[in-house]
Order: sequence, then C-alpha cells, then structure tokens
Amino acid sequence: MPSTYDKLATYTASGTPSSYTFSSIASTYTDLVLIVSAANPTNDSGLLIRFNGDTASNYSDTSLYGNGSSAVSFRATSATGMNAGRTDTGISTNIVNVQNYANTTTYKTAISRGNDSALVITTVGLWRSTAAINSITVYDQNGRNFNNGSTFNLYGIKAA
Amino acid sequence: MLNNILGFLAESPALNSYESISTTTVGSGGSSSISFTSIPSTYKHLQIRAIAKSTGAATQGDLTLNSDTGNNYAWHQLFGSGATAGADASTSRANIVGAASLVNSSIASVFSASIIDILDYTNTNKYKTLRYLVGQDENGSGVISLNSGLWMNTAAISTITITARSNSIAQYSSFALYGIKG
Amino acid sequence: MPTFTQIGTAQVVGSGGAASIDFTSIPSTYTDLCIKFTGRLAIAARDDFVKVKFNTSSTNFSAKVLYGAGSSGVASFSDTSGYAGTVDGSTATASTFSNMEIYIPNYAGSTNKSFSVDSVQEDNQGQAWITMVAGLWSQTAAINAVSIYGGTNLLQYSTAYLYGVSNA
Repeated sequence: MPSTYDKLATYTASGTPSSYTFSSIASTYTDLVLIVSAANPTNDSGLLIRFNGDTASNYSDTSLYGNGSSAVSFRATSATGMNAGRTDTGISTNIVNVQNYANTTTYKTAISRGNDSALVITTVGLWRSTAAINSITVYDQNGRNFNNGSTFNLYGIKAA
Repeated sequence: MLNNILGFLAESPALNSYESISTTTVGSGGSSSISFTSIPSTYKHLQIRAIAKSTGAATQGDLTLNSDTGNNYAWHQLFGSGATAGADASTSRANIVGAASLVNSSIASVFSASIIDILDYTNTNKYKTLRYLVGQDENGSGVISLNSGLWMNTAAISTITITARSNSIAQYSSFALYGIKG
Repeated sequence: MPTFTQIGTAQVVGSGGAASIDFTSIPSTYTDLCIKFTGRLAIAARDDFVKVKFNTSSTNFSAKVLYGAGSSGVASFSDTSGYAGTVDGSTATASTFSNMEIYIPNYAGSTNKSFSVDSVQEDNQGQAWITMVAGLWSQTAAINAVSIYGGTNLLQYSTAYLYGVSNA
C-alpha cells in the first residue's frame, strides 16, 4: 500500500510576523493537515485561516469549546476568515484538517481542534469556493503578531 | 555498477507508518452505501477520512462492521450546533450513528467532513471502539461533534460499511481508508 | 526521515496488569509526538481517569477539559494533575477499551509544552465519556519520557503506540 503523510512545508517565526502564508500548495494530495503551535504577546485569541488570499466574506464556521467552567457552542457566518484554533501568551496546539482541498466540485470543509491555556475548542469551517486550495494564510483574530518561535507545519495525505 | 546499486539502496528513505489502503468516490446517481471490504489485517489502526452529502434531505451515514446489523453497537456524542452544546447517546442499537453526516442536497456544493479512528482493529481480545470527529457548516447552520462508537464483538474488522439512513450518499462524496502500522 | 513513523514498539500490558505504560529514552529528532492509547482500568467502576507524566513528573500541569458524558450531559472543568481522559473501568461493558490520541507538538523544544488529548470511553449504557483536553506542561525541558497511568492498574491488553511526526 502506498505510504503517505508527507511534509509539505514548515515555518518557524523569526521575529513577530502578523501572519504566515503557505503558498504554491501542490494539488496532488487529498487532504491537508496544518499543525500550528503559536503564541501572541497579549492574551487568548482566535487563530484564523484564509484560503487562496480570499479576504471576502466567504467563510463560516461552527464551534464547540470548553473553558474550564462552561461548554459553549457558537457560530460565525459570512466571515472574512475561518476559525481554526487558538493562540495566547503561552504556546498553543492547533490541528486543522482540510479535506479534499483540491476538489474543484465542492466547497471546502475543514475540521479542527485547538487549545491554549484558556480553552479547548473544535470547529468545522466552510469556505464557499470550489477552487482548489493553493495557499493558506494563518493569522490572529485580533490582529496580534505571532511570537518569535511560533511554528507552522503543513502535511499532505494522499488517498490511493 | 554494483557500488551504484548499493548506494541507491542505502539512500532509500524509510517509509511512513501511515499508508493509503483504498478510496471510494460515489458516482452519478448516488449510492445507498459504501463499503471497504477485505481490509488487510497487517496494520494496527485504521483511519477513514471522508467528505459526504445526501441526494435529498439531510440525513446520517451510519456505520456497521463486518456486515453485522444486529443490536451490537453503542454510540455517544459531544456536539455543538452553534446555539447549543450538548451530549447524546444510544445503546444496544443496530449501527453506529453518523460516521458521515450527509448534507442536504439543496445546499449547493457543501459537504461534511469526517475523520474516523479505529485503534487495534484486529485485536481479538477487545471489542472495537471508534472515535470520530464529524462536522458540516452551512453558513448559518451546522454542527461539529466528537463521537464514540462501540461494536460489541472481538472479531478483527474486515469490512466497514456506511449506509445512508434515508435517501442516498451523493455523487462526489469520497471515503478514503488508511492503515497505520504499530 | 519519514514524516509519520512509529518510535520503538507498542507497549502492551500483560496479565496481572501494570501501574503505567511508559515510553522512555524518546529521541529528540522528531518534531511532534503522537500517542495512540487504548486502555481499561482495574477499578471496580465503569470508568475512571488516566493521567500523563512527562519526564517522570506529575507536576506543572494545567488543563481545560471539555466533556460530554452521554445521558449525563456536557460541561467543562479545569485540572492541574495531568488529566488525559476517562477510560473504561472493570465493570464497564466487557472487553471494551477506550480510544485516545495525545498530540504533543514541538516536544523537544525549549518552550513550555502544549498538548492535546481527544479521548472516548465507550460503554453500552447511557453515560460514557468523551473528552477533549487542552493540556499544558509548564516546563521548558525537552520531553524524553511519557507515562500514562490511572488511579488503579491498567488491565491486560491496554496498549499504547508512540509515533514521531517530522517536519524535516
């Protein structure tokens, strides 16, 4: 059986970037797995992603989180980015699965789970475009920069 | 020449523990179910990664193992629907609920996503426990859930079937099976 | 280097049980660690907790936990003991073991260690635990050992697999 789960790209923040973009993503895989371990200098904030440089209101998502005292669900509609996890002053763990990212028939659905020191969250997001994804931009919901040393790793999984 | 061959062998990279077994993509007209059959027993864990949609009203793609349709399954769920965070359960049932969520056909181009993990699928000392993350968002509706499923049988898993509870699984729905060595 | 590969061999609990499953001497050459764990405990109850230690330490942990307990509802709590999830106890449905995945990014780095745990415990009754853990180990040392343990012994056939994920 063909081996898969391949490294596509990696970035470790040198300095304090406001975002990071994986570009020229090959269309030869089936799913993408994005692992982000990031911090910001201020406090708990959302980690968002955009595809193909699309900054229009073509994103939406449904989330479920626990913050140590309550379980809460919320939704975002016609947004300019997709919720994909968390970041705060400590380090976070975010795992984003973008399924069938190169399929030109379907809109793109991503399911993610993320956590920082404040909460654990899982999200399903939708990008209303049938374009194959060739770039992913990762940024902070509140416009904060990522701390030096934040890491961004992209992997591809190819179905037989 | 011989030295060149040996050099090539020495440079061949070790392979991942993660391998693709097979993929099913639903064709035109849809399908009432999809199945993975004759699953090799050479891995330790299985993972299914899927996108799915209904040919009609929204429904569930429910999962059975080794063609067992007896009341040998249990299911539990933790979900968020935007307005509500909740939990659900069903026991002694004939399948595992919603391994794929089949999105209403009237919502153009939107497919759900699922990732299903089965650990120790060939272990004949254990019933089989599934863990799966499923979600769809429809820009104003949708749900994300982490689910568990139990098959009360110690047999090694050789067949996995996902069946639409109503209507059919729509064209372009895709289910990919992976094996993880251990 | 392969991207997703097993490190060492599976740790399988034998007859008589074991206080913990331990991975030691973990090489620092990967980027992330992924542990797949299927477990059952000796406690005379339907379910109970398991926890983790890093580098044999059970201190400096903090976590936010989201859980659903089937018919018992959904909630969230905080933890400082290294809680990783709830698994089957000895009076749960026979032959049933939990299904858990622990993910530790940048485990060999020089910052505090964030980790995630997704865990399900099944039981043919209304209540069974599904948990998502946001974990933090506030130590900057590279992780070279991971233990999974409960308040009672892990039962025979409990098994854990360690994988390394490499971005090299």
